[in-house]
Amino acid sequence: MQQLASGIGRAATAVVEEVGYYVALIVESTFWLFFGMARGQPVRLAAIVAQMREAGVAAVPIVFMLSFAIGVMLAIQGIHTLRQYGAETQVVLGIALSVTREFGPLITGVLVAGRSGSALAARIGSMQVNQEIDALRVMGINPVRYLASPAVIALVVMMPLLTLFADLTALFGGAVFCSLELGMSQFAFWDEALSLITVDDVAQGLVKSVVFGLIVAVVGIANGFGVSGGAEGVGRATTRAVVLSISYLVLADMLFTYFLNR
Amino acid sequence: MSYKVTTDSGYAIVHLSGDIDLSCSPEARKLILERLAAGKHTLVDLSGVTYIDSSGIASLVEGYQTARKKNLQFGLIAVSEAAMSVLELARLDKVFPIHASVADRVK
Amino acid sequence: MNAPSPAIEVENLVAGYGNRRILHDVTLRVGSGEIMIIMGGSGSGKSTLLRNLLGLDRPSSGTIRLLGRDTGRLNAAERLELQRNIGVSFQGGALLSSLTVGENVALPLREHARLADETIGVMVRVKLEVVNLGGFEHMMPAQLSGGMVKRAALARALAMDPKLLFFDEPSAGLDPVVSSELDDLILKLRDALGMTVVVVTHELESAFKIADRITVLDHGKVLISGTVDDVRNADSERVQDLLHRRSRPVHLSADDYMRRLAGE
Repeated sequence: MQQLASGIGRAATAVVEEVGYYVALIVESTFWLFFGMARGQPVRLAAIVAQMREAGVAAVPIVFMLSFAIGVMLAIQGIHTLRQYGAETQVVLGIALSVTREFGPLITGVLVAGRSGSALAARIGSMQVNQEIDALRVMGINPVRYLASPAVIALVVMMPLLTLFADLTALFGGAVFCSLELGMSQFAFWDEALSLITVDDVAQGLVKSVVFGLIVAVVGIANGFGVSGGAEGVGRATTRAVVLSISYLVLADMLFTYFLNR
Repeated sequence: MSYKVTTDSGYAIVHLSGDIDLSCSPEARKLILERLAAGKHTLVDLSGVTYIDSSGIASLVEGYQTARKKNLQFGLIAVSEAAMSVLELARLDKVFPIHASVADRVK
Repeated sequence: MNAPSPAIEVENLVAGYGNRRILHDVTLRVGSGEIMIIMGGSGSGKSTLLRNLLGLDRPSSGTIRLLGRDTGRLNAAERLELQRNIGVSFQGGALLSSLTVGENVALPLREHARLADETIGVMVRVKLEVVNLGGFEHMMPAQLSGGMVKRAALARALAMDPKLLFFDEPSAGLDPVVSSELDDLILKLRDALGMTVVVVTHELESAFKIADRITVLDHGKVLISGTVDDVRNADSERVQDLLHRRSRPVHLSADDYMRRLAGE
């Protein structure tokens, strides 16, 4: 019993420590963004753009495919459920709200965590193992400024953009299925969907996605910097980064949804 | 670093002296490239150089390269020992035309 | 070089990780323009000493002065200024694998110096020529052999024309010819540029060839610090063991040994 209690205590301390590290990383990345120039160590625009391309633009095809599929899936389930009440046409409301408030941000977040969170952890981790991080430090190049800041900024900017794109694609998926199944015209679907969606619905999703971007970036980077123990360590950190960031993502989503809908 | 520009026997002569390092080599580079841009045959006098780093050396290389493109003459004059050892390290002692003095060069 | 002003002064350095102490009271001076070899077997603490000198680890106590500056008392700007004057070549090269060889060498220049791109380009090519890597500018680090990686790392360490150069295990993993070429290069650099060079190594041959002075570390303590001759003629048995590659004598009683093997 005592062992269990102390085990829980230790685990809790570790979590608090880790979250503290995430917060410190966010603060430091932001510091370099605003004060790096004055310190003679600006965050390079080229590095931010490169990260945006890698984390954002390159993710567009897969985001398209998955959110389209989600849109179709929601339409199938919605029509199936609502048919029991003879209210199939209400499906548009279900799709429009669940996509913008929930599925758009979440599916994008999970995808980006899998793609970019793991890539960040692997890249920074292998740099740690090869002493590249040490080399940066002795050259007077702050690793957080050089590696972390551009990635944090890129993900915080790209995540909402990708989410918006996912929202539209999922609605498109829903529209395609509804037009096939219910004979509803594309125009009618979009007209109804857009009249039902409020600015608040979309904003809620986008606010969440900003936080998701921050989570994916910071968890990936922190796990990368924390690597020890060679190539195996890099592999462990990569897996850990993905699992942790998706967990934090879902947790954050739940909290947000709770507080934003009270 | 301190410098002075003189003219002798049809050459613009850039005299550099003191330490030529990252902080002042852009200035040295500008001095040399300006003479060449004005279409002058240029010599760089390194007799007073106590230290030259690779940014200084790079400026000389750029000068020589520019001169060759414009069919102008370029050379180093009275290279100090400190500057010579750095040129040798970069194996540039065989590349630059190096003379003891302007008179030597004119001959 | 009579009584050169010190480039490195380490006083009563104590360092370690967590509760484990690795360096006990290390005191060390390296004169300006000197080539100092830090030697020792594995576990002697030489890597820890290097990490502390580079500011990658913080000592528990003691002071480190590099180029006259107390590294424990620098603000960010002063630290940056000091780091510009220090070049480091890591054991595995530590070239950024996402950049070409040329971009790696250019990195400190682009980050710290305000120079025209053409000038940086020429400087990078000059450095690569100095280390005999002319023409490899556009290769990626992964395409280079071990010896080439070391030389590229040296070129990057030299990018800012440092006053103080640290070289970690220059000959590890290299064939004798290549490692001897690197030794010659280190000597040439010191002579031409007046650099102070600190080499951490366990290779005796290279140590004796290039050293002005040698410091031998053992179990986190300075066993001896002196000229090549001082070290050669040292009375200490442990120093002689290291010099002659004698294995440490194992004192063991038959009973104890039997018990250990039997797993009791």
